[in-house]
Amino acid sequence: MLEQAATRVLTCIQCGKCTGSCPESGRTPFNVRMLVRKKQFQSAVDEALPWYCTSCGACTIRCPRDVKPSEVVIELRAKLVEDGDIPVALQKALENTFVQKNPWGRSRNKRADWAQKLDFEVPHVSETESKRLLFVCCIQAYDPRCMVIPVNVARLFKAGGLEFGILGEQEACCGNEIRRIGEAGLFEELEEENKAAFEEYGVKEIVALSPHCMNALKKEYGDTGIKVVHYTELLAPLVEEGAIKLPGSFGKKVIYHDPCFLGKQNGVFDEPRSILSAVPGLTLLEFSRAREVSLCCEGGGGRMFFEVEATYQRNAEVRVLDAVDKGAEIIATACPFCVMTLEDPATEKGLAVKELSEILTEVL
Amino acid sequence: MNILVFTKRVAATQEEELRITGEGQAVDLSKVPFKVNDWDNYSVEEAVRIVDKSGGSVTAISIGDAESDEVLRRAIAMGAKDGFLVETGDILNDPFTRGELIRSFIDKEKVPFDIILTGVQSEDDQFGAVGGVLAGLMGLPYASMVIGIDAVEKDHVIIRRELEGGLQEKVKVATPCVLSIQSGINEPRYVSIMGIRKASKVERKVFKADGYEKGSPKIELVKWVYPEKKGGATMLDGELADVCGQLLGILKEKGVYQ
Repeated sequence: MLEQAATRVLTCIQCGKCTGSCPESGRTPFNVRMLVRKKQFQSAVDEALPWYCTSCGACTIRCPRDVKPSEVVIELRAKLVEDGDIPVALQKALENTFVQKNPWGRSRNKRADWAQKLDFEVPHVSETESKRLLFVCCIQAYDPRCMVIPVNVARLFKAGGLEFGILGEQEACCGNEIRRIGEAGLFEELEEENKAAFEEYGVKEIVALSPHCMNALKKEYGDTGIKVVHYTELLAPLVEEGAIKLPGSFGKKVIYHDPCFLGKQNGVFDEPRSILSAVPGLTLLEFSRAREVSLCCEGGGGRMFFEVEATYQRNAEVRVLDAVDKGAEIIATACPFCVMTLEDPATEKGLAVKELSEILTEVL
Repeated sequence: MNILVFTKRVAATQEEELRITGEGQAVDLSKVPFKVNDWDNYSVEEAVRIVDKSGGSVTAISIGDAESDEVLRRAIAMGAKDGFLVETGDILNDPFTRGELIRSFIDKEKVPFDIILTGVQSEDDQFGAVGGVLAGLMGLPYASMVIGIDAVEKDHVIIRRELEGGLQEKVKVATPCVLSIQSGINEPRYVSIMGIRKASKVERKVFKADGYEKGSPKIELVKWVYPEKKGGATMLDGELADVCGQLLGILKEKGVYQ
């Protein structure tokens, strides 16, 4: 994929649609059109610049010449990674992933600890009939705020009679952010390790909790022959058809934030909305910038692990202020990175951020 | 300037809940990942920086099992020219045994050097002794806790040692010498997987430890034990004002607050 980006860069006509759609452009020193131009001429690029990209993918989606500017950024980062000259926080995230298979460096042996919060056993995927794998991935396995997501989804699956299993400590980071940080070699190792586990246990379907994992597993692991979905895609029909009963009521005004990797990059817009619409008492609101033009929260592409140099009003704060304007009480989303970035500014403004499974669990 | 730098593959135990096996004979490391010893990572980086500035070459040496080849590949990816593995069958915990093996290896193989760098300590054994023992056995000048190398001259180096109380000691050390490198002396570069793959193409020499003197261990591992369990925390109940009052009382009683 990186090689493709290198050849496509010469077809760029400098129309500026990439910069026009970039959530960092005009607010930070980052100018993706300029980076593509410099790449065309093999000119030097300020080493700090590529790290502003959030990998939201808007530039690549809107590019009329299929230059894939976001891949150009990855290529620039890859050079810095090869030279060993990257921000320390990102270096730690990569080294942790190499050793413990997660960017936080937590013990791989504790990867399934979240399941201890359940009052039922979650089997290893090899012990299931369906060979349906719940791919938990790192942030949900370790971050105290996000560990609730697999717990909730497991309860919802059980309520809907959906059989599933996990890989536990045999699961490795999906590598979505690792590839975007520019560490192609480490991404390949993670991909090979996960694919070997899928093959060994005959996995037929993968349900990803994070849109970032879904993206990597679906689009960047090559043709595995395994169906990959986000958990909302599986839950939506169950909720709509009443297979999962929601007897409670959630009398709140909820605004839905489209995660970039679920919405604009993978076209899953309707399922989360369909689920929220089925929640009794819930009033669903929409951002002005929703669906394909949803504003990126800035948590992707490695930005979850480090701070850029420039100070500016963060998109998460802009998003929260928009939600306040719309009269929302709750911001709902379906991505752990979005939860993490939106929560602080939301709390400051008196709003709550809930991952979609949290709302469903409250009315289950 | 020829620099020998020692690098060790250690268990990444910080996040693990370690279990002692049997009657205390061993620690179960079967599910623990391994990594380069943190102090050695700084040492390799420092060695490469010295050579980048002053010329010469870096030779990375690892004492350990065949798996230790991975830390040699890493050192080569960072800029070391050669990688030597002194392959041991047993784990050598005793710093005197390790020191004697290294001395004997360097002597017998006539490995040329001006400076030997070791990490201050290794994350697994934490004796913090191999550098000093090695210098003693070889009759070389030695500086521990090296937090800065300010000048590398033909016959000496000027280094800074980290002391308590925020002080640093600037020392002139004649070469050849042994220096134990403290973490934080530099910011080690990131070593990419592609870099390690390229480094794999550089031949690493393997020497069997049996061919060298190890001497007799000066210490013997008797048993692995868990630390004694101490009393738990005291939980204070009641309204905030009551709890604060109780806390003050306890702090006064313990002499923490007058």
